[in-house]
Amino acid sequence: MSGLPATRRGALRALVSVAGVASFGIPVFVLPRGAGAAPAGAREAIELTSWVVIAPDGKVRLRIPQSELGQGVETALAQVIAEELGLEWPRFETEFFDPQINRTRNNVYVHTATLNSWGVDQLFEPMRIAGAQIRAMLLQAAAIKLGLPVEQLTVSGNQIVAVSGAAAVGFGEIAAAAAQLPVPAPDKVMLKSQASWTLIGKPLGRLDARAKSTGTATFGIDVTLPGMVYAAVRQSPVFGGRLRTYDETAINSIAGVLKVVAIKAGPSGYTVPPTLWDIIDWGMDDAVAVVADSWWTAQRALDALPIEWDEGPNAGVDSAAIALQLEEAVRRPGRTVRSEGDVEAALKSAARTLEADYHYPFVEHAPMEPMNCTARVDADGVEVWAPTQYADEAQRIAAYAAQVALKDVRFHLTYAGGGFGRRLSQDYVSQAVQVAKAMAGTPVKLIWSREETTRRGYYPPVALTRFTGALDADGRPTAWKSHAVFGRSPFQPYGVGRVPFAIPNVHVAYSTVETPPPFGWMRGVAHTQNLWMNVGFLSEMAEAAGLSAYEFQRSLLDEKLLDPQRADHADAVARVRRHRRVLEEVARRAGGGFHSRQGLGRGIATTDMSYVPGYRSSCTAMAVDVSLDGKGGLKVLRVVAVVDCGLAVNPQNVEAQIQGAINFGISNALFSKITLKDGRVEQGNFDSYPLLRLADAPAIEVHILPSTGEPTGVGEEGVPTVTAALVVAVHAAGGPRIRRLPIMDHELGFRRA
Amino acid sequence: MSVEFVVNGKPVSVEAAPDMPLLWVLRERLGLTGTKFGCGAAQCGACTVHLDGAPVWSCQVTLASVAGAEVTTIEGLSPDGRHPLQDAWVDLNVPQCGYCQSGMIMAAAALLKRVERPTAEDIAQSIANLCRCGTYERIRKAIAQAAQA
Repeated sequence: MSGLPATRRGALRALVSVAGVASFGIPVFVLPRGAGAAPAGAREAIELTSWVVIAPDGKVRLRIPQSELGQGVETALAQVIAEELGLEWPRFETEFFDPQINRTRNNVYVHTATLNSWGVDQLFEPMRIAGAQIRAMLLQAAAIKLGLPVEQLTVSGNQIVAVSGAAAVGFGEIAAAAAQLPVPAPDKVMLKSQASWTLIGKPLGRLDARAKSTGTATFGIDVTLPGMVYAAVRQSPVFGGRLRTYDETAINSIAGVLKVVAIKAGPSGYTVPPTLWDIIDWGMDDAVAVVADSWWTAQRALDALPIEWDEGPNAGVDSAAIALQLEEAVRRPGRTVRSEGDVEAALKSAARTLEADYHYPFVEHAPMEPMNCTARVDADGVEVWAPTQYADEAQRIAAYAAQVALKDVRFHLTYAGGGFGRRLSQDYVSQAVQVAKAMAGTPVKLIWSREETTRRGYYPPVALTRFTGALDADGRPTAWKSHAVFGRSPFQPYGVGRVPFAIPNVHVAYSTVETPPPFGWMRGVAHTQNLWMNVGFLSEMAEAAGLSAYEFQRSLLDEKLLDPQRADHADAVARVRRHRRVLEEVARRAGGGFHSRQGLGRGIATTDMSYVPGYRSSCTAMAVDVSLDGKGGLKVLRVVAVVDCGLAVNPQNVEAQIQGAINFGISNALFSKITLKDGRVEQGNFDSYPLLRLADAPAIEVHILPSTGEPTGVGEEGVPTVTAALVVAVHAAGGPRIRRLPIMDHELGFRRA
Repeated sequence: MSVEFVVNGKPVSVEAAPDMPLLWVLRERLGLTGTKFGCGAAQCGACTVHLDGAPVWSCQVTLASVAGAEVTTIEGLSPDGRHPLQDAWVDLNVPQCGYCQSGMIMAAAALLKRVERPTAEDIAQSIANLCRCGTYERIRKAIAQAAQA
């Protein structure tokens, strides 16, 4: 584990000096002088620094250095740079960044992997500075052209005008001259005061809303090229299986079939930048692709193609065996990841102890747009179009797959039909390029079926946590002991370990076991696996103490109970205060007079998704109301959310992210599980891997707490929070104690009193 | 086999296998990529279009079966992309990733043709499409708003 830095902005900055990081080609926020500018007077689009392109007619294009997966980052980041530039909203276009520019200009876009809810968090300051720099350059160039002092000029209506109103010059007329000027140093540009903002902090409409409401937005799967052919793809039904052979003659007679291509196993790219966590390539397996003149024909032919696999050692693995692996590991001592006080002594002297095991299954991300990528390989190089969360790695993997230099891969980032972490792996990019190489000169669009997408996911790992808790004679908790065991995954002890509640004796252990599927991050990461377990077990302790889960949580969010000798005391105090504030606020907003009873229950949970002490992030609380009919029927009625995310750059977008995360989390908690039998994933399409539909989606209220703090991410927190509140609500409504997800696997009748 | 039908008011003739699903005919042969592939198995509704005015999941409709029929896709729902549902979708910022929204809007348009002022229950019963981004709350509001327009 390379370790997570204490603050994120510190993170990328502090780690850039680490040798080895630099060799990977990331680091340092540097804007090159007049980067790549065309000569003055040229009648072509002018690049102003790496962030903005101005056409001869003055039209402005803003570069968005993140993937738009639905999270609204395109709009939010445009707000940030347009604010400082002084652009009229929305009189500009946007384009996604080019990873080759980012690579050759020393990570000029600062943070391009779309993960960790970091789009706005990491890019707010750099894009404000970039906007201000470009504004200064345009003003300077206009001053020279108009022969006026720069102080007498301002940006208005997408041109430079004299404050007196006596003169004006369009962006197009001065862009070339501006590009020749030195880029002002980041600390030499004036940023606008918050009081003067007209874009940042406003609930502006999404830039892509019209295109996405008229069918005109181009997703990866919509890329269309002249002479394009289509590929359907299949990997071994067992993870790690190798391709032995296939019988092409069986499908030769199908009209439209053009070729069968064997795709080689190999790297699928790093799923995190080198400044975070372990750098592991989780790899991809062999595959077979059928190329045809339509995708439907290709898929039909693939279904008819006899393929022989060497299924390898995972052929015998099923979910029961994996459960046993976890059981065995949880009995062994894990690696201690947190220790305060003396848990064993506290357990011995306790008035009461409790023990429980909590289980989490493999889960598939299930973005609505299946995996796909379009590629063309010819003598001039490789051109790739893909919906991905990490364009830099997609480009690198494409170069690897085609065996060409990075500079010979032109990569185009498209809109993605959801990502949720799945598109941090570039397996489908490698596949498309391998097929395109076999079809030299012909563009190939490779698409996975829904079944392939479900069965060959990069799932977050299965997890089992064993808890032991102790209470004294007054019902106060005296010990908290947990041991989390994860399937194949990087070291991620934060989910189980970062419990904010003040309990005097704590011991947290962590282990992993090897399981067949490759690992993938998923919205909420290990907080999603662990928060509901922690909150669930805490509510078991609450019940033993004779308190409601809410009152129990509240009583433990008390800084006076924190041991002042703790090394992380300041962090622990700050977290307790913050959690208590949102907890009390959500209880108030949801309605104070409410009392759970048989048939109707409320659960409340909070999280800040903290990874390490000092980590800067949002803090979220949710109240979930459910009804049970006592005969197995469960309805999630209403979710009230309170969000402390610092400055909300776009409040309607923050609300959308929380609404979406709530439904995503409920969907997974109610329905989602990927199981293995004889090494094979048992689920396929949405009939066997159901998702939440509109009829079952709750009413949602989102309250954003006013704040002037730096903006922090909101994409993920809702998922762990709603999951935790939901399991508590089911119990509060008289239902069973949910210690294993998904909830649909439980008998949901009322508990016997 | 050549099949003639009408798409968004324009007559077309498509030469393809008779059992090719309408979804792929629209996307690959006619270049109408607004209609999306999500499951291919009558599960998600991303491929919803109108066939002679009624909503269908186009992954389940063969080319042969649409001979002589009128098909409307998201591209043809309104001449200028300003159907009251589309305006409500933009006004309330419904789309997130947006992949399912063509199908959602086509399903909602069919509902509004059938029921002028749908109740919450009508909406819940009629919109069976999947949205993984979880935009359901805003979809409900946008349909209600469009119904008032």
